[in-house]
Amino acid sequence: MSTDLVLQKVETLLAGFAKGTAKPEPNRLDLNIDASDLIAAITALRGARWGYLAALTGVDLGKEANQIEALYHLCEGDAIATLRVRVPRAGGAVPSVYALHPNSMFFERELMEMFGVTVTGLADTSHLFLPDGWPDGMYPLLKDTDVKAAAARTMGSEPPEMGRQGDRFIVPIGPQHPALKEPGHFEFAVDGELVTGATVRLGYVHRGIERACEQQNYTQNLYLTERVCGICSHSHANAYVNGVEQLAKVLAPPRAQAIRQLVACLERIHSHFLWLGVAAYEAGFETLLMYSWRDREVVMDVLEQMTGNRVNYSASVLGGVKYDVTAAHAAAIRRAMDTIEERATHYLHVVTTDTSFLARAQGIGVTSTEEADALGLLGPTLRAAGVTRDVRVDAPYGSYQQFPVTASVDSAGDLAARFKVRMLETLESVRVIRAILDGLPEGDLTVKFPRKIPAGETISRFEAPRGELFYYIKSNGTDKPERVKIRTPSICNWIYVLTKAVGSQMADVPPLLAGIDPCFSCNDRMIVVNRHGGDRRIWTREDLRRHASTQTRR
Amino acid sequence: MSVHTDSLWGGALEKIKTWARVNSPWAIHYNSGSCNGCDIEIVATLTPRYDVERFGIKLQGSPRHADVLICTGPVTLQSRDRLKRIYEQMPDPKFVVAVGSCATSGGVFQGCYSVVGHIDEVIPVNAYIPGCPPRPEAIIDGVVKLLASLQAPAKAKK
Repeated sequence: MSTDLVLQKVETLLAGFAKGTAKPEPNRLDLNIDASDLIAAITALRGARWGYLAALTGVDLGKEANQIEALYHLCEGDAIATLRVRVPRAGGAVPSVYALHPNSMFFERELMEMFGVTVTGLADTSHLFLPDGWPDGMYPLLKDTDVKAAAARTMGSEPPEMGRQGDRFIVPIGPQHPALKEPGHFEFAVDGELVTGATVRLGYVHRGIERACEQQNYTQNLYLTERVCGICSHSHANAYVNGVEQLAKVLAPPRAQAIRQLVACLERIHSHFLWLGVAAYEAGFETLLMYSWRDREVVMDVLEQMTGNRVNYSASVLGGVKYDVTAAHAAAIRRAMDTIEERATHYLHVVTTDTSFLARAQGIGVTSTEEADALGLLGPTLRAAGVTRDVRVDAPYGSYQQFPVTASVDSAGDLAARFKVRMLETLESVRVIRAILDGLPEGDLTVKFPRKIPAGETISRFEAPRGELFYYIKSNGTDKPERVKIRTPSICNWIYVLTKAVGSQMADVPPLLAGIDPCFSCNDRMIVVNRHGGDRRIWTREDLRRHASTQTRR
Repeated sequence: MSVHTDSLWGGALEKIKTWARVNSPWAIHYNSGSCNGCDIEIVATLTPRYDVERFGIKLQGSPRHADVLICTGPVTLQSRDRLKRIYEQMPDPKFVVAVGSCATSGGVFQGCYSVVGHIDEVIPVNAYIPGCPPRPEAIIDGVVKLLASLQAPAKAKK
């Protein structure tokens, strides 16, 4: 179905609720909705099985307008429908859409703590990213909030000591833990070896990048967004660059687009090899960690040869790329791809046939296609449950139309399937890299790019190694953006870990956690659990059963 | 432990302790707000290409068993107290290595509302390794320089 028809369907479904529609870009439809109609509107879309909730963006419209806009972005293929709900700046409220889209739990908590919009009907209203002692009534993303003063008033806090709680025993993991490369705090309630409750406390790596983006110019933000995450640095930079280029109506030259895709493919390979090692390590398979990290160095070498850096490559700039691919680079990449292909084929064989590995991975954390879709999972976690959803395929950006990729899918939905899908993606990336090198367009690397960007807003979606990355950028005509919203794939996948940990063996929890390839630094840019409120959500088996039944009932 | 020995024995004991410390430092890693870039480079130093275990350096889990605290990232508000706690849990003598631009200076996150600052604003630091992120070779070099300063404290002070 064409994008127009897909969007027309939304218009028809929401005809009764929309107080005005606009089509700012060919693939986007904006609908103004009253807060009181929000649930009915999203129910109508859910009932017609239209799209998934990709992000929830809050925008402060300023003191004069005295309003906050909550944007519910729903995506289907390359079509994006945005439900725009305006609420007063003080005392505004929107209803929770948690029952329809469980991943909205995190988005809504973020909206509450960042903008002070009350979300009614939300079970857990605690902080998600902000520190525990953050003063009440200070909302960091409101333009006039004195964040420095709020930070100065923030008292330190530490998770309480855990142990026996009545007849339950709580196993705390993190924030410093040998199994975690990044800090996060988990509490698993256990009954013997069986996990009966799970909570996660994020925010240890929350730095406040979205606010920082509003204070720097577009070029400076390029280097900031690249440092949202050191593993998928190119994905963040590229998603940001694509968005700003859409706003400025400047198209990067074809050669630059192809080089961006080439670096993205190399990044996917290094990220998947990195993940393979770490996930295998969590399951007690340290040998595989050593092997996969050894092989990962092959990709790091070519990235370094091309860009001069191993991790933050700064390949993309506004209007093009910084580095060219010379004949020597191309030859080195081809040699590296031969090695990677051989090794990835071997690892694919290992993760699908090795008996002791399968004993740890097969049948662990199984999600059905229905459930994965209902939970709003993303990336390889979703594709391992049989859902073919990949931005590179559904909404090809940059040079992905010229060098198309095929989505790697498996229907088993368990941990083993996640290993398989990631290895298949690695092999697919090898194929695409060779195709790019064969057909690399000639031409310039950059075009002239304006310093000031015309007023407007845009959405840039990018398939990062962990799943769909979502950037919303609003410009106001100056050289600094009005608002940058970053929704990372990990935040959507947490719900899976919390859901699946309950009912599984404690020993399966580390590999389950690793299974989604969580990236804390990505999702912690902005969000804390309110210690003084004591309002932490523990998923009991009963909750889970109820939750599961609400998800499967249609 | 109190050792009642003459200066000769005391000196010899110190030498043995330094020898043991330099030849097998145990390290603990804490990310107090890093983007992950430095953290994966630290893991890279432990894996076959760089393999710091050949120098006796071992990454392990508990602060109570650690000699060296390897810190990455700027310090966020939420991480500040945990970083202090980990440092305080480590037995003396202890050393801190700040890895990366953010850990040494705050890097690009300087001025962000949720960032307190760089590592040495919270705990004392013995070695700084700049870079965004530093290459694994640079991390190894930094740790080796730290170890050298333990062997010859007077020389290192100059």
